[in-house]
Parts: sequence; C-alpha cells; structure tokens
Amino acid sequence: MRSIFGIIAKSPFTSINQHTKKVHETATQLRPLIECFTEGDWNGTMKITRQIYKLEHQADQLKDEIRDHLPRSLFLPVDRGDLLLFLREQDAIADSVEDVGDVLNMRETPTPAELKEPVFALVDQVIRTSETWYSAANELTTLQAATFTGNEAERVLKVVDDVNHQEWEADKLEAAALKSLFTFEEEIGAVSVMLWMKIIATTGRVADHAENTADLLRLMIARA
Amino acid sequence: MSVAEWLLILSVLAGFYMAWNIGANDVANAMGTSVGSGALTLRQAILVAAVFEFGGAVLVGTHVTDTIRSGILETAMFEPSGPLGPDGPLLLALGMFSALLAAGIWLQIATMWGLPVSTTHSIVGAVTGFGLIALGVEAINWGQLGTIVMSWVVSPLTGALIGGAMFAFIRRAILQNDDPAAAAKRIGPFLVALVAVILVLSFIYKALKNVVSEPPFILVVVSALGIGVLAAVATAAFLHSHQPKNLTPNAYVERVFGWLQITTAIFVAFAHGANDVANAVGPLAAVVNIVTSGLTELPDQVPVPLWVLGLGGVGIVIGLATWGYKVIATIGKQITEMTPSRGFSAEFGAATTVLIASRMGLPISTTHTLVGSVIGVGLAQGMAALNLGVIGKIVNSWLATIPAAAIIAMILFVALRAVFI
Repeated sequence: MRSIFGIIAKSPFTSINQHTKKVHETATQLRPLIECFTEGDWNGTMKITRQIYKLEHQADQLKDEIRDHLPRSLFLPVDRGDLLLFLREQDAIADSVEDVGDVLNMRETPTPAELKEPVFALVDQVIRTSETWYSAANELTTLQAATFTGNEAERVLKVVDDVNHQEWEADKLEAAALKSLFTFEEEIGAVSVMLWMKIIATTGRVADHAENTADLLRLMIARA
Repeated sequence: MSVAEWLLILSVLAGFYMAWNIGANDVANAMGTSVGSGALTLRQAILVAAVFEFGGAVLVGTHVTDTIRSGILETAMFEPSGPLGPDGPLLLALGMFSALLAAGIWLQIATMWGLPVSTTHSIVGAVTGFGLIALGVEAINWGQLGTIVMSWVVSPLTGALIGGAMFAFIRRAILQNDDPAAAAKRIGPFLVALVAVILVLSFIYKALKNVVSEPPFILVVVSALGIGVLAAVATAAFLHSHQPKNLTPNAYVERVFGWLQITTAIFVAFAHGANDVANAVGPLAAVVNIVTSGLTELPDQVPVPLWVLGLGGVGIVIGLATWGYKVIATIGKQITEMTPSRGFSAEFGAATTVLIASRMGLPISTTHTLVGSVIGVGLAQGMAALNLGVIGKIVNSWLATIPAAAIIAMILFVALRAVFI
C-alpha cells in the first residue's frame, strides 16, 4: 500500500481526555478518604489510599504515553508547550490527592469534633473546584473540533472563570481551617497540629492545580 | 502476428495494468478522506469513484494525455527522416511501451515497500528515461519537463492555499458564528454551488467542443451558473427537510458537512480521473497512433481515441473493484481524525488544483496535492495533529521515483531495441 496519510497523526486531545477522566476519578476519592480519617477508620483510610495509588499510577501511565507521542515534528493547533504544561498540571491534581493520602497514613491523628466543620467546608470547596475544572477540561476534544474559538470557547472560558473563583474561595476556607486548627493546640498537642497543617495545606493544593490546569485552557484559547 | 500487432497488444496490457494500479492505490488515497470522515460508506465511495473517475477520464482526460504522449519528448526527432532513420517511429513506440512497463514495475516495488510514490512522477520519469537513452539530452523537451517538475512543487502549495483558505472561511463564517448550526445551513448551499460551478466549467468546454466547435462564452457561463443555482436550491431544500434533533451545534455543523462532502468526493474523483488516466493511456495513445499508421511514419497529432481513454477508465474501475476498496477501507480507518468540515476543505483544495492543472495539461500528483491541502487545513488550525515527519518521506520517495523509473525504462528499452531491431 502506498498510502500518504501517515501525515494525519493520532489526536493527542483524545488521549489527554482519557487522562482528564482518570485524574477526575482520582479526585473523587478525596472526600471519602478524609471522611474515613476523621472518623478514626485507619483501615478504611489505608484502603482508599491504595485505590488512589492505583488510579494515580494509571494516570501517570497515560501521561507518559501522551508525552511519548508528542514529538517536535508534530504540528498542533495549540502551542506544544502549553499542551505539555496542561498535562503536567492536570497530573499534579492526582499527585496532590495522593499526597493527602500519604499524610493521612503517616500517623493516627485524632480529629477534634469542632474541627470537622471548617475542614469539610474546605474539602467540599476543593471538590467543587475540581468538578468545575473537570467540566472545563472535559471539553478539550470539543474545543479542538471548534478550533478553540467561537461559542464553544466562550463557554469554556466562563467555566474557567468559575474555577478561578472557586479556588479563591477554597483559599479563604483553607485559611479559616488553619485558624480554627490552632484553637485545638492544647487539646491535641503540637505534633497533631503539625500534621493537620500539612493535611489542610495539601488538600488546598488539589484546588491550586485544578486552577492552573484550567488557566492553561484559557491560554490555549487566547492564543488560537 | 506482426511486430506492430504484438506491440499494440502488449501496450494495451501494460496500459491496462497501469490503470489498474491507479485504481488500486491512487483512487484509494483520493477517496480515503471521505470514508475516514464518515461522509461516505465504503460502498458509496466505490460507487462515486467508479462513476466519476470514469467520467473524468473520458470527458476531460485528453489534455494531460497529450502532454505525456508528445509533450515531454521532442517527438519530431523520431521522424523517419530524423537521426534514428526509418526505425524512428518503431523506436518511439517501443520506448513508450518500455515507459509504461517501467512505471508499472516501479509502482509494484513501491507498493511492496509501502513508499508513498506518485503514479504521475513514475510515468514522467520513465518517459524521460527512455528518451535519454534513445536520443540523448536533445530528445527531451526540457522546457515542458521543467514546467511539469515545477508543477509538482507548486501543486501541493496551491492545494494547501485553497484548502487552508476554505477551512479558514468555514472557521470564520460558521464555527465562530453565534449560531454555527444556522450559519452552516445558510452557507452550505453556496459551497455546493461553488463546487458545482467549477465542476461544470471544467468539462463543459470539452463536452460542448464536440458539438459546437467553440461554445459561446455566454452559453458556458449561463449553463454553469444555472447548474450552480440549481445545486444551491436543491441543497437548501435538502437541509431544510433534514433537521436531525438532539445534536450539539458543533455536531450539527459536522453532519451538514458530511452531506456537503459528498460533492467534494465527486469533485476529487472527477479531477483525479481527468488528470491521472493520462499516466496509463498517454504512452498507450502514442503507441496506438504509430502502430495504426504502419510504423513507417510519425503520424500527425490525432485526437486521443475514445476507446483508449475508455480502456483507462475501465482499468481504474477494475483496479478499484479488485484491490482499491480494501485500501480505501484501511485508509478510512486510519484517518478518522479528519472530520467532514476538514475533509470538505482538503478535498476542495486538492480537486480545484488538480482540475486547473489538468486544463493546463500538467500531469500532477493528485495524492501529493491532497497531502498539501490537508497540511493547509492544519495550518488553518483544523487538524488535531499533523505528523510533519512524513513530508520528508514523501519528498524522498519523490526524489527516488524519477531516477528509479527512468533507469528501469532505460533497461527495458535497450533490451527491447536489441530484440526488435
């Protein structure tokens, strides 16, 4: 066969969309994970962390595969660097969820009853940010079909704005949770406080990376 | 049987084999984009290709055929009074047969190795090769050959330009519109009219020339525009009565282009038949000419016999039916990334370029032009990813084809000359 259509390469956007879905699946584990931990269910915490490990690893494999298929000779409708950064930030969402699992498994740390409220306010806001990131990132293939312009781009930009706003809310809730944490320093001791600081900060990072990923979508649209 | 009869039969077989090859490989490259996007099913693609390749070959195939049979070589040097003496016409016939066979052999090798070579480049290389060995550098019409080779560079660029411009227009007027679905419905009929007008213009001169010697300009314009309006009205009516529900605006746009792409698929098949049939029947027409005048003289340029063009058309269709359909199916699966709006633009760019080249008598490579158009659509941000590394491979096969086909033709010609003379 003398076909010349090797010129049409496999769409990286379709593969990246699979990565998006895998990362989102990882992120949905965040709430059950922290619930188990705050209830003192160390076994459950361990189980969910293992599940997160598995999902994060699958996301990593997808990421590596996509990178392997993005040689410089590939001509893309968006900047290759933007696309690789998008992939890295998206992968960092799953990494951060995994980090939360790691911290939770370090030490059996008690949760003061009144700390739950500010912590879950933060967790829920982080999940909201992540869900909004997902609804934007999941549009990548459709965006490509629409050549990153028009109504479709406008729609995605609005969702990206939402992600930005929600991450900002998450930041505020993170600060509030930390502030609340220090009212329990007598009750749970310095080591537990230290660990909780790490838990709260790492949870906040999930939203940070969701925002960064969404911002890269904005960049791709702006440059199209 | 006489030498003349043998030569005629063998040339018919070699010409038929070349036509088969075009149908088996080149047509698939031309039709693959329509199957890949889902605009046509495999069965529909074969039907469209069979009808319009044949139509293009028989109705508009003569321009390029004339170039191949008598444009590349200084045929006057093969006159019995020329440097080769009374054997001149026979040598020209033998040479054209060698060229046909050589191009066929090279294509067979390229197909085995999966090299993206062009049928057109093969036959032009082969004719040049035999001319060089028969008479040396003076036998070649270098001006014409230079124009042909230039056209091989220019045609993919032109395809890229027209295909890219078409997609840029679709992007601006439809994809960026506030209501892409309504825009597609409004603009679709005009695009179909454009395709219809170009198609009609391309063969109306030819078809009418047989009836009226020089068709009046007004008649040509009126009939082309009339058919254009008719096509637009029919498309508008079709789009009005076919309004699928539950589709996103984008999906609806692609659905509309899936329908519109049927017209560019026809366009490509017609243009491909018009240009590429010459690769098979150009040398054959030369042999038929010489043999029918008894091998003793070089006949004046007579029109390419219709049965020769018909033979080429039939060969293409048989190549398609026996092998090409498998290649179309394979290519169709490979290039699903090409959605109908992109396929429409690429096919429009390629077919327009090929038809212009055909009118100018320039044998260009349809498939290379189509690759150019796909790249043009990519540059207009239409493609998800283009593997530009393949361009190097295409250029390499391009550069290898000329000497390879030429050398095989030289060897065959020398052997045949030893046998017959």
